[in-house]
Amino acid sequence: MKVSLNWLRDYVPLTATPEEIARAITFLGFEVEGIHATGAPRLEHVVVGEILTRARHPNADKLSVCTVDVGPAGGVKTIVCGAPNCDVGHRVLVALPGAVLPGNFAIKASKIRGQASDGMMCSPDELGLPGDHAGLLLLPDRPALGVSIQEALPGGDTIFDLEITPNRPDCQCHLGIARELAAWFRLPLTYPQERFRGDVSAAPRRPDLLAGAEVRSPEDCPYYSAHVIAGIKVGPSPAWLQDRLRAIGLRPINNVVDVTNYVMLETGEPLHAFDARRLEGRRIVVRPAGAGERLVTLDGRERTLDDRTLVIADAARAVVIAGVMGGQDSGVATDTTDLILECAIFRRQTVRAASRRLGLSTDSSYRYERGVDPHGAPEAAWRAIDLILETAGGSVVGPSFQVGGDVPWSREVVVTHDFITERLGFEVPAAEMRAAFEALELRITREDETVQPARGPAWTVAIPSWRDDLDRPIDLVEEVLRLHGTERIPPATVVAPGLAAEDDPVVRFNRQATDYLVGHDFHECVNYTLRPARELSTWTAAAELPGLALANPFVDDQTHLRSSLIGGLLESLRLNQARGVPVARLAETGRVFLAREGEVVECVAAAFVVAESSGERSWLRRESADFFNARHHVAALAGLAGLRMGPLAPAAAPGWQAGHAALAADSRRGWWAGAGLVDLALTRSLGIEGRVQAGFVALMPELLPARAGARRFQDFSLFPAALRDLALIVPEPTPAGEVMARVERAARQAAGANFTFEGTTVFDVYRGPGVPEGHKSLAFNLVFRGKERTLTDDEVNAAFQRLQDESLAGTAWQIRR
Amino acid sequence: MQAQLQAVLAKAAAELPAVLLRPELEAAKARYVGPNGEFTALMKQMGAVPKEERPAVGKLINEAKGRLQVLLDEALARIAAAELAAQLGPTIDPTLPSPDPGPGTRHPLTLVREEMCRILRKVGFSVADGPEVESEYYCFDALSTPADHPARDEKDTFYLPADARFGNVSKKDPAERYLLRTHTSSVQIRTMLRGEPPIRIVSPGRVYRRDTTDATHSANFHQLECLYVDRNVTVRDLKALLDHIFAALLGKDTRTRFRPHYFGYTEPSFEVDLAAAHLPRVNKPWIEIGGCGMVDPEVFAAVGYDPERWTGYAFGMGLERLAMLLYGIDDIRYFYQNDARFLRQFA
Repeated sequence: MKVSLNWLRDYVPLTATPEEIARAITFLGFEVEGIHATGAPRLEHVVVGEILTRARHPNADKLSVCTVDVGPAGGVKTIVCGAPNCDVGHRVLVALPGAVLPGNFAIKASKIRGQASDGMMCSPDELGLPGDHAGLLLLPDRPALGVSIQEALPGGDTIFDLEITPNRPDCQCHLGIARELAAWFRLPLTYPQERFRGDVSAAPRRPDLLAGAEVRSPEDCPYYSAHVIAGIKVGPSPAWLQDRLRAIGLRPINNVVDVTNYVMLETGEPLHAFDARRLEGRRIVVRPAGAGERLVTLDGRERTLDDRTLVIADAARAVVIAGVMGGQDSGVATDTTDLILECAIFRRQTVRAASRRLGLSTDSSYRYERGVDPHGAPEAAWRAIDLILETAGGSVVGPSFQVGGDVPWSREVVVTHDFITERLGFEVPAAEMRAAFEALELRITREDETVQPARGPAWTVAIPSWRDDLDRPIDLVEEVLRLHGTERIPPATVVAPGLAAEDDPVVRFNRQATDYLVGHDFHECVNYTLRPARELSTWTAAAELPGLALANPFVDDQTHLRSSLIGGLLESLRLNQARGVPVARLAETGRVFLAREGEVVECVAAAFVVAESSGERSWLRRESADFFNARHHVAALAGLAGLRMGPLAPAAAPGWQAGHAALAADSRRGWWAGAGLVDLALTRSLGIEGRVQAGFVALMPELLPARAGARRFQDFSLFPAALRDLALIVPEPTPAGEVMARVERAARQAAGANFTFEGTTVFDVYRGPGVPEGHKSLAFNLVFRGKERTLTDDEVNAAFQRLQDESLAGTAWQIRR
Repeated sequence: MQAQLQAVLAKAAAELPAVLLRPELEAAKARYVGPNGEFTALMKQMGAVPKEERPAVGKLINEAKGRLQVLLDEALARIAAAELAAQLGPTIDPTLPSPDPGPGTRHPLTLVREEMCRILRKVGFSVADGPEVESEYYCFDALSTPADHPARDEKDTFYLPADARFGNVSKKDPAERYLLRTHTSSVQIRTMLRGEPPIRIVSPGRVYRRDTTDATHSANFHQLECLYVDRNVTVRDLKALLDHIFAALLGKDTRTRFRPHYFGYTEPSFEVDLAAAHLPRVNKPWIEIGGCGMVDPEVFAAVGYDPERWTGYAFGMGLERLAMLLYGIDDIRYFYQNDARFLRQFA
């Protein structure tokens, strides 16, 4: 909202500089988004001169050589000028040598194409004034020669561009801001004094102009008033009124419309004027629009309305969209002689909904949406009537109509000095609090002593009708603090009793997963949660996609919640490759959304990708990442989440390369994991060079342990280990994990209670001579150890034999010797 | 005898330095001191030496034996050293670049978030978390956002379809809609509903606004909010917290100031500006960094806390904005592109 300093001074005698005023407004709670000075800039050595002669420059077609009389400021000067309008007889502004124009442009006596020039005649642009730079700024008022720019141009103003918070609709006008500034600077505030105060009993009655006003939906329109002014003459507004409107960027239209705008900008109360002759049936009806009812609004557009939109209508048709915009053919025109002035209160929600539906926001709708003081409406109408009579003539006639608005305003809040002090945490004297209330027109109607141990008084504070936001004692704490100054809150140390609670398990998991991945040379990434359907469909079954769709996506490539972090990581990989940035390892932690038993669950997740080709050649080759690297990281991440993943099964899911990736999941408990090669066709279609290994863990946050489980030390033997190797020939399709599980079980049985089987690993997988076609050999090394002594060869051999027998029992497997 | 001993020693001294392998040394050793060795043979002659000469001859033999052992030890040491040397490849050029990737890097948003959480933990805050898909109640109603507030409009907030079902995001009322949370204040509500005061939490997390993506806006971004609920919490305490946070983050000369503002869930409310030396790309004395205020009694009422007994403050800020200020980043989109040249700059 734009506010003019000159205008504010109509109500409060501000003497502070614009900067001090801006600071006051800021600490009163309104953001100052801009300060603009209008009118003449303060420039030295810029004076009025008259062009005496003009001749073409001998060496340049587009330049003229002029003689210019600047009178007492230096007599006649010769000045080279490039402007087309430097015609003889014009009075213009001349920057003499020594002047410094905006942009730090210093004027000196100089030669231009060989011709001496003793200054510069100025365009508005060169002086930092609005206007074009194509020609000189002409001074048709012919100020005296040699006078300064400040004297030559009309007085300036300062315009503040303010952001008004939604709780302060009372400050959506000059009076509101003036009231705040008066309180801040402790200056008197002068309200406009209306001469007309609503009494039409002595006025001539003209029911032929307006015979009735009716409100059919009082909920949407709790107050409606209409006054009639007859015999006006529509024309341009006086200069002072036009200047006021122009200063804040409004275009003057005619005296009546300008007055309604002026009063709205002064008081915050929107007003509307109709041409009385154009109302059919001399009636005003406030009613919901008929479905499909049409109205051409002032902006020339035809609007189709519905029955949720409130309109002001005459006997036949809608003439105004209530609180939003008037109709084109009922407004005040140049030939209007009798007018009806509406001042009404419309329900905020009604106006907002209409404004939204029509895509039409106006100064009026903006104010209604935020709230207009119902109790200020009559005064605003009186004020407008005064100004219309003053600028357009005419006289008020009867009858006038008021519908509703009969609920008187009354609100009192009781607050104590101690309450305010306790909330603030520092002492503000009672006298200062009292003064703050009074300055804000929060009248103290009663002051009581309070009972010990309370120390200060209790105040009963009358809240004015425009401060609907003040309803509770805490609201008054803010008022005291605003006027005391938030910059004066005294410093203090943070008091932190006791130790903090544990961080949330999700936070701990994300932190640990990130630490792990970064520790393994991954770059942590952050990708958008919202993904395009085409990306998600590569990772999610088609049936699950609808459950992830937003109801109201904003852009085409952000329509769904992500089900996987890998899509984003691949996109990041592609971007780096496309930019020629070698990078191989990317990782992310964050939320993903997965289908589970007909619902979607929000999961915590960690994922990574490893590009086999990072685009970087090296003097020393390293083995490229493979499935087992990926699975290793996935198992570690699952471990951080407290999950025991168990064996992975070959992946048959979108996104993964069949036969080269594996998944594990327990959707009933709510976790999912996978590792392996990203589908090669997908990688290629994404434009990623080389193969990509990926892995992820996702789980419902509820699965994360609240704290790490208890650990207990297990004793171990210090005697030497006995080692044995076992190679088994098994059919090719038999998973190694199955063979290993069987060997381990047999080994534990064979060791019995006498000694310990410490574990096994696969140290060889062999296919070829010595192993039948369609079979493979898996070689295990087994570690045995005595608990309290060194094992003898005999007992280990005996156990090893039992192990072999047990491993083979019931299978077609063979020992490879 | 002496001559014989000298001859054997001379032979050994000539032969042993040329022995390069352990088996050859063993063989050589056997030739001298083995059961049939030359030196052993000389020692056996001792029996034939007259009794009176024995001490002198014995001495000669012992000396010779000692010298022979030295020769053998030297040969063994040389072989052992050669064996170790054989385990080495050519000498390294320590100036060659490592072919390995890395080091890994933390994302700047993680760095800023963790730093803030670390600072806050020191004054008793623990880190809380909550769902990103939220219901209208936890995101708006409980924070006294009116039903017709523009923030709830479908123009500004992402909603999920009315029939969407989220298994692990609870609703207050089955009829309310799911949405993507527009602030992490919903975590405050869930935390307050779950426990009793005193509460001192920081909730960092991802939030969503239906906004055009440009240099300063993003469809999702990250916030960090603090909530403290206790007895007798004051405006002055809130100011002290913010002074502490930013002095710890940006240095002792950092100052903060409050400007009165309006938020629906705090009263009074403030916007927070900070002034710090050495921030890159900042040419204003004060920079807006977040919003804060005293928890509105209505919010306490919504979570069942007695507003007469409990007071509290809340503070919130954007993590991208903080990271941009801290590091001098001028475009929010860099955070979401993950260009490695960006990521490597901060870790």
